[in-house]
Amino acid sequence: MHHFALTIIGRDRPGIVSQVTEILYQTGCNIADSSCSILGGQFSMILIISHPEYENRESFGAAFSPLEEGNLSVFLRTLMPDGEKRAALEGELCMISVYGADKPGIVYRVTKELGDRKINITDLNTKLIGDESRPVYVMMIEAILPDGVEIEEVEGWVESLKTEMGVDISVRSITAVEL
Amino acid sequence: MAVKEVLLYPDPLLKKMSDKIEVFDEGAEQLLQDLVDTMVDAGHSVGIAAPQIGELRRAVVVDVSKSKLGKKQKNHGLLCMVNPEIIEREGETVVREGCMSVPEYTGNVTRSELVVVQFINRDGELQVVRSEGFEAIAIQHELDHLDGKLFLDRVSSLKTDLFRRKK
Repeated sequence: MHHFALTIIGRDRPGIVSQVTEILYQTGCNIADSSCSILGGQFSMILIISHPEYENRESFGAAFSPLEEGNLSVFLRTLMPDGEKRAALEGELCMISVYGADKPGIVYRVTKELGDRKINITDLNTKLIGDESRPVYVMMIEAILPDGVEIEEVEGWVESLKTEMGVDISVRSITAVEL
Repeated sequence: MAVKEVLLYPDPLLKKMSDKIEVFDEGAEQLLQDLVDTMVDAGHSVGIAAPQIGELRRAVVVDVSKSKLGKKQKNHGLLCMVNPEIIEREGETVVREGCMSVPEYTGNVTRSELVVVQFINRDGELQVVRSEGFEAIAIQHELDHLDGKLFLDRVSSLKTDLFRRKK
């Protein structure tokens, strides 16, 4: 079984998901993990798919042509063996909210701090809100703190970043409760 | 003492309505003990409901006092509840929940902040408990199992709510 990552992006309208998944169904693909959302006016789909026989992009032939004709951009990545498997993510899950007057570098500066500390981002959303005269940038990050990194420590270095960037940042644990 | 196997979805029993326990007899006491043993054996667990060990009878046990989050909050220690019913609710809170019967998946669920729950306790007596915080959430989660409801039926948002709010 080969696995692929499929991304599809195009002007949002009703029916994109069904058009894409009909093709996947007809070609005999399985959908594993997927995430689809509206970003700006664009609808974006990211899917991990598999097929019992297809081995590469060529195997799909012209299957995605109807999508491209409908002005959707299609990108297919062939995964290496086990590329569909996620390493176990151990550690405390936390949510980091970053928001403030829009300015360049907010995403970069914050995520650089995380990356340098080996803090794994599992989900990140950004949105430009407010009106044109006073644009506000909002970023929500879900990240896993590796063993030895405590929330209090993150709160500590976030303080200096807040001053430096002139944005508000808060950190809290959102570890799921196992019931 | 008996540690039972925790059923995993898609076991059909997890979606069934449980029956009221009409007589608090030895069988009911045994069921409560099995629930406690299974909960303790599961290590990280703060509660378990009878359907999760394959018994469609209205009994749950909850004990948040041993968990990292629960022991910091006001709680009632081990609660063994037969025929539990929530008779009052207050407030709303969103919590990321997971469940032993649905491994590797979590979701944001809206729960009441405070509940008043009435049940038959281990001594066969009617007891009323006012619970808040993590314990209240655990109680609501476990009681849902008695009605064949999983937290998956109550997921209120996809990750962050912020972006999906209507203008």
